[in-house]
Formats: sequence, C-alpha cells, structure tokens
Amino acid sequence: MLELGIVDTRNVIRTIAEKYNYDFSDYSLTAFKRRLEKIIEQQNLKYSDVLITKLRNNSGYFEQFIDELAIPSTEMFRDPSLWRVLRYELLPSLISEYGNNFKIWLPNSVSGDELFSLAITLHELNMLNKVQIFVTALSTISIDNIQSGTLAASKLELSTDNYIRANGTSEFTNYYKTENNKVFRDKSLIKNVTFSRQSLNIEPPAQGIKLILFRNKMIYYNQTLQSKVLTQLFNSLVTGGHLIVGTKESINTFFGSNEFSLVNNTESIYKR
Amino acid sequence: MIYKAIMIGGSAGSFQVVTKILSALPKTLNMPVFLSLHRLKHVRSGFLEALSLKSNLPIIEPNDKEQIKPGRAYLAPANYHMYIELGNRIALSTEEAVNHSRPSIDLSFITAAQAYREKLIGIMLSGANSDGAYGMKKVNEHNGLTIVQDPNECQVKTMTEAAIKITNINHVFSTEQIINYLLKL
Repeated sequence: MLELGIVDTRNVIRTIAEKYNYDFSDYSLTAFKRRLEKIIEQQNLKYSDVLITKLRNNSGYFEQFIDELAIPSTEMFRDPSLWRVLRYELLPSLISEYGNNFKIWLPNSVSGDELFSLAITLHELNMLNKVQIFVTALSTISIDNIQSGTLAASKLELSTDNYIRANGTSEFTNYYKTENNKVFRDKSLIKNVTFSRQSLNIEPPAQGIKLILFRNKMIYYNQTLQSKVLTQLFNSLVTGGHLIVGTKESINTFFGSNEFSLVNNTESIYKR
Repeated sequence: MIYKAIMIGGSAGSFQVVTKILSALPKTLNMPVFLSLHRLKHVRSGFLEALSLKSNLPIIEPNDKEQIKPGRAYLAPANYHMYIELGNRIALSTEEAVNHSRPSIDLSFITAAQAYREKLIGIMLSGANSDGAYGMKKVNEHNGLTIVQDPNECQVKTMTEAAIKITNINHVFSTEQIINYLLKL
C-alpha cells in the first residue's frame, strides 16, 4: 500500500488550488491523504508527482478526480433510528406546518443513498409530491451516477436490513431491479428532484430551504472549514428550518453571531 | 516514559481480554488508549456501556475532531473508521470498509503509527480475519512497539497469526503478560 507524506499531500492541494482554484487546504488531512493514496493506487500512477503532472496537463481529468475524491455514503438508511424519527415525527410535522412548498436540500451528494432513502420514506408517507428536493454535487459524474439509480451491490444487504429496521412499510425489493449483477434503484422516485453542480463553497440551490441533510460530510473538514460551512448552511435555512448531520458530528451550536438549537441529540438534528 | 499512546485492535474473542486490560490499567495512566474493535455496523449503543462496567478509565466514543486526552480510552464508534489526526485529535471517516470492516483496525493502526511513530504501543488481540495485520506492520516500520496476544490463548487466532506472519513482532504475550507489561511502563 502506497503511503503519501504530508508534504506530497500539500503539493497536490497546492496544484489543484493554482490550476483549478479549488481550495482543499482545510480538508481533514488524514482522510484527504488516504483518498489521494487510493486514487494513485487505483489508477496505477505510482507517485504523487505523476498525479500532479496529470492534474496540471489534463483539465479533462479534473472532473473525474473530483468525483473519485468524494467519499460515498456507506449504505441506504444508515442509522435506521434517524429514519424512524423522520418517518414518524419530523417529516409529517414539518410538511403539515409548511404545506406544499417544502424544500429539502442534500448538499455534497455522492452516491444518492440519502436521496433514495428520503424519497422512499416520503413515498411511503404519500408526501413525495409535497416536497421539492434539491441535490447538489461537486461533479457532474456524481450527478449522472445518482440519476442512473445505481446502487453499489456491496451495499444491498445492509441497506435492506436498515430499510426493515427503519420500519419501511413495503418490501425493499420493490424499489430496485438487478441487471447483470448491477443494482438499479427505481428512478421514478427521483423524477421531480432538481440536480445541480455546486462548488466547494456549497452555494444553496434555492431560497427558503426548510430541511438540509448533511450527514457525515463535515468529518472531512478541519474545524475552520466546518464552521465556515455551518454558517453557509445556517444562512441557507429559513428560521425554524432543520439541519441533520452525522451522529458523531457534534456541532458547536454557537458560531459567529449564529445559533442552532439542538432538537434531537441522539440523531444530531438541529434547528435554526 | 517513552510511550505516548496505546492502541488495541481486536475482533471475535477479544471482548474479555479488552475488559481485563481496562480493569487493570490505573486511572492515573498518563497516555490515551485507543480501542479499534470490530462491532456491528447498525448497533450504536451498548458496546461502550458493556466495556465501561469494569474499566478504571473513562471510555469515550469520540466525536469527530475530538481532542485526545491522557487517561481515557477512545472506542471507535459503530460504522466509522477512527483515525488519529494531526494536532492531537481524533478524526472519523465513513470511507469504504477495509477487510470488510468499518471500523478497520488497519486504518486506526496506520494513522496512529504516523502520528505517534516510535511512541506508540500497538496491541493485537483475538480475531477472525486479517484486519490489523498490515497496520501492525506499519507500527513496526515507524519503530513503535508491537505486542500480539499469544495465538494459543486466543479464542480465534486468525488475526494474531496474520500479524505475526508479516511482521517481526516485539512481544507475543498472554493477557496476563500484556497487563504486567503495561503496568510497568
């Protein structure tokens, strides 16, 4: 297994900043370094210098690089207890409160697991037509991949178990088809979803966002970037809007002049 | 004292051993203990509580970027990899499973070896796959101290044998010897 030094890692970060104006310097170093090691190994580039040369000379490669850098979520319905809270409490109460103009945003999407879990939950609540879902991603490759419905086959077993634990009311098999050992989720679930590309700055795709799902994304940032991004998410939400982060992403609710209040500690649900 | 941290990796058959070690280590231990143990991905609670019953050290399932403090044990949370990040902090990750495991013992050992180098003690306990063997090799390459539970004592010896096979391990110890060694630090 290849092991990159910190200097090598910083050199790659500098190259990307100079050539593409993408600033990864406030990403968590260990995870970023590991991701680079993985890319270098999988593409048989051998050394970080080869990656740097490729990034410098081949702009077309950058989109692919950004896609591979992104870390996909682990499975569908991760943390089934959160999905039960969404199913029985949060989604019904928020949607009845806000009516038919309920905007949900999933920033930094990579694999679509959160999107399809959400769409299935809403579908089973008969509320899919009452919401407007926005998915933004760093690369168009990620967007294409999500839109294709592809689910990594390795995630199927745990996703199925989680769906049952999340008290899904149907059969999980109703939501996907298998073709040539590949799993494709039902695209009709996401036919009204709005997809767009975002930058590292995570610009909101619309005004008046009522709910943001941003689970296990901030773990790849250092604390400086975490508070920057939190400010951005805070400003994107309407007053009373909710933010859900990963169970081990404890956010300091006070940052700058902003303040989130904690709604559910075990599931990391916050409210502006 | 030349060592600054202890990291323990374990899987099937390691629970009792970890419990024994944690009940023997004193509250005043002046370094952190990291526990990278295989566990069910979807069960978030219970494990920490079970390990805490007999532990002298407070056990924590760290949040991301949690500051590392001596005299505490840090247990890798369910379905997260646990890294030792620069700046004396823990970082969590949801990247792909390694050796079918998340947390992966390899990843915890590799990042701890890079952070603590020769000041790390890596301990490998009973387990049923080879996760952690490569990580022990990295601890050794960074001149950290490597200890493996005697495979003859392990409930499942796949993991310890895998570690011994690829690395010149410093000590192959019984649970009692591991405890005595740590108490003399």
